Amino acid sequence: MIWVAQMLAGPMLWGGLFSAVYGLHGLGCALDWPDRATPLGPLHPGGMILLWLVGLGLHGLLVALNRAGGSETQRLLVRSGNWVGAVASAVTLLPVIVTSSCG
Amino acid sequence: MTEDQHAIAPNPPRKALLLHRQLDRVWSDLPGWRGTVCSVNHGTIGLRFMATSFAFFAIGGVLAMLIRAQLATRDGAFLDTQLYNQIFTMHGSIMMFLFAIPMLEGLSMWLLPKILGARDMAFPRLGALGYWCYLFGGIIILSSLLFGVAPDGGWFMYVPLSGKTYSPGINADVWLLGVTFVEISAVAAAVEIIVTILRLRAAGMALTRMPLMGWYMLGTAAMMLVGFPPLILGSILLELERAFDWPFFEVMRGGSPMLWQHLFWLFGHPEVYIIFLPAAGVLSTIIPVFARVPILGYGAIVAAILGLVFLSFGLWVHHMFTVGIPHMALAFFSAASALVAVPTSVQIFAWIGTMWAGRVELRLPMLHVAGFFLTFVMGGLTGVMLAMVPFNWQAHDTHFVVAHLHYVLVGGFVFPILAGITYWMPMISGRFRVRALGETAFWLILVGFHGTFFLMHLTGLLGMPRRIDRYPDNPEWEWLNLISSIGGMVMAMGFALFVLDIAMQWLFGRRSHRNPWRAPTLDWAMALPAPSYNFASLPGPGRDDAGAILPLARGEGLLPGAPRNRREVLVTDAGTGRPSHVAVMPGNTALPIWTAMVLGSFFLLMLAGLYVVTPLAIAAILWAGWQWGGFMGSRADAPAIQAAPGLSLPEHWQVRQTLAYSGTVTLLVADGTLYASLLFGVGFLTVIAPNWPAPVSGLGLGALLTAGAALSVMTVATLAARLAETRRATPSGAGFALAGVLAAGLALVLLGGLAMLLDDPRRHARDALRAVLLGYSVFHGVVALMLGLRSLCDARQGRTGSQRRGAAPVWQLFQTFWLTTSVLSLGVIAVQEIG
Repeated sequence: MIWVAQMLAGPMLWGGLFSAVYGLHGLGCALDWPDRATPLGPLHPGGMILLWLVGLGLHGLLVALNRAGGSETQRLLVRSGNWVGAVASAVTLLPVIVTSSCG
Repeated sequence: MTEDQHAIAPNPPRKALLLHRQLDRVWSDLPGWRGTVCSVNHGTIGLRFMATSFAFFAIGGVLAMLIRAQLATRDGAFLDTQLYNQIFTMHGSIMMFLFAIPMLEGLSMWLLPKILGARDMAFPRLGALGYWCYLFGGIIILSSLLFGVAPDGGWFMYVPLSGKTYSPGINADVWLLGVTFVEISAVAAAVEIIVTILRLRAAGMALTRMPLMGWYMLGTAAMMLVGFPPLILGSILLELERAFDWPFFEVMRGGSPMLWQHLFWLFGHPEVYIIFLPAAGVLSTIIPVFARVPILGYGAIVAAILGLVFLSFGLWVHHMFTVGIPHMALAFFSAASALVAVPTSVQIFAWIGTMWAGRVELRLPMLHVAGFFLTFVMGGLTGVMLAMVPFNWQAHDTHFVVAHLHYVLVGGFVFPILAGITYWMPMISGRFRVRALGETAFWLILVGFHGTFFLMHLTGLLGMPRRIDRYPDNPEWEWLNLISSIGGMVMAMGFALFVLDIAMQWLFGRRSHRNPWRAPTLDWAMALPAPSYNFASLPGPGRDDAGAILPLARGEGLLPGAPRNRREVLVTDAGTGRPSHVAVMPGNTALPIWTAMVLGSFFLLMLAGLYVVTPLAIAAILWAGWQWGGFMGSRADAPAIQAAPGLSLPEHWQVRQTLAYSGTVTLLVADGTLYASLLFGVGFLTVIAPNWPAPVSGLGLGALLTAGAALSVMTVATLAARLAETRRATPSGAGFALAGVLAAGLALVLLGGLAMLLDDPRRHARDALRAVLLGYSVFHGVVALMLGLRSLCDARQGRTGSQRRGAAPVWQLFQTFWLTTSVLSLGVIAVQEIG
């Protein structure tokens, strides 16, 4: 049953990453991050982009380090699950980071 | 591990007729009226679910015709506004809660054991309880229409419209209590489906070789398990507000109507996929049969199901785009709503590819499949349109949305279900259908449907709002509405003809031969109509398709016949399908209907406002719950059962990972989701709702000490529950069980004391939430106490031993859950106090 957990890891990471980005957004708004600048740009979107990239990196690790054994179908399902999570994180969180304000 | 290593030697062949008689005597329902009230057989219960849901579908359809009659002309005087409000609310509620969900529950209960190679569902009595709760709840809801007090706030019951101020009658209470009562059956079905799929598959049927229908139902049940609790919680909170004035949704006292919307749509959007996935399972089963090729892209479809299950929980806010939510939520939920089209499309293309690769026989089920493609794809595309925020703002609450949801639900559920019914009717009735009636019904439904709803896209884009009963100032909408209404009547004729076709088949069709569609799946490896026990011997490796019909009937599979005169099923490992043990199932009993009746009495007393008497109903519920444990346990170790040559398996009393254990874990997932939803409510109101912070609390050192003492004795009870199991073979086992029961009882007393110290829950939402958190803890304490008492009885009455554990493992699970959630709840209150 380990392969089932491996299959679910990608979508679970998507859920976790969304919660983390959402939380960071709220925290940034509460702490006036949009008004704070860093050498790389405004702190608020910068923090969210960094978190998003870390998340995508974790998704990449899941995909790259996939060592599921078992049958061909099991390996396919684990690979698919990893990609489902990765694509979901990339597609659904990108507009959040690009367009969100504290409004 | 290769299949050879899993190989199981066949049993010697026997006389099929003798096996049939032996099994039928054990598995069939009682004769006469006793069979009606005592049946727990999955075949009977599944068919009852489907037949009852179809009856509700007909009633909902009649209500739809009344709506169309009213809207046919701009000054319709057919219904007054009050009645119109009740009728459209009841139409939506009936179709969602009394037709769609129960229909899929019934289909899965009836079909899953057959297609997975089992004799029954995992929890037969639970299935029967679910049916009776559904029937009684449905009758309560429907009766309100006859008495003129039906819900009238729309099927999603938004507050403040459904609050006491604007809905002072019992209309909203009928919805809240009736739907919650019905949802008992949904959660029960979800638990049953998951455990059946994971633990009752044929020996050697690994998850990766399971028929796609199994994957679809597994996804559906997982979504039900997580999707229904937020709605149940929302209904409880709203009923508490209406009945006792606890202000969860009232802005002036720290509540927020938005909390209801979040809780409702956390259920409401996954609900669409809960309805769609089983229908897609039907399609994935039927299409390869009529295309005469295996399904294309098994793995891709399973991955698509996985994607749908997860993504569907990231969409709910697209129903709330116009309520003024932050840009961030708009962006995320819009993107997720568009993305969900991808896994849906993967399935659509897999089905088209399958048909492309084969030679499609356009029999009646395939006509309905064609109806699905035409209708659902259009609904999906308008769904992508509505996922775009700017368009959504324009079309929100117009008839465009009404058209979209009907294209999705009728296309994605009704057409596939009609295909499924026509496909499996020979197995249900044992007869062929009467020619031509079904085809005529199909064309009437298809033409009538599109005639009704396609035009609503136009009226919606012209600005016609949903739920209005007249439009005297908009003559330009009238001809479109008139045609819609005519289309609705044509569709109704089609459905009437469909029912006639089914009745004719049942009564007058000629006898069907075995496997009339030449399907490859296990469900057709049995005589028609399907016998009460499904398989005379159970399928195993190499004998898990329709071709195994004769060897299985001759008893060459596992567990042939019923030599011990009891209902036995084979329990397997969740992942590999390796045989684990033999479970003995309960036989016919009236306990489910009695339990449903006492549960119904509680809901009726609440509805009548007789709160003082409800403790009597609660006591009756506890009594009924206690009776359920009477069947469990064994006073002696039994010898291993030989399921096949060289394969001896223990009975379920003598293993720890029983079906009951798996079921409890599954139930606690739903329970945990409800609790997480409650914590979400606490967080949401604390951060979002105006009129916070709450007034100063009156909790002091006394409350802190009481809470600490309660948690301490709860911990003692949890440890005692563990020791009661590990020391079960010694005399101290009963002692630990007694200590656990006493500690649990003391913890309940302390929680009661803590409740006395709380501030008045009517004062502010924070105080009301604290009361609910405490009530949640008390409820679980009562359940844990009952399980502890059951374990104590097991120990005292000799139902435990070196191998036999009685109820102790399940008690431990509940005890740990109670302790964990109580620590969190009291922690939340402590943090609020510090903050």
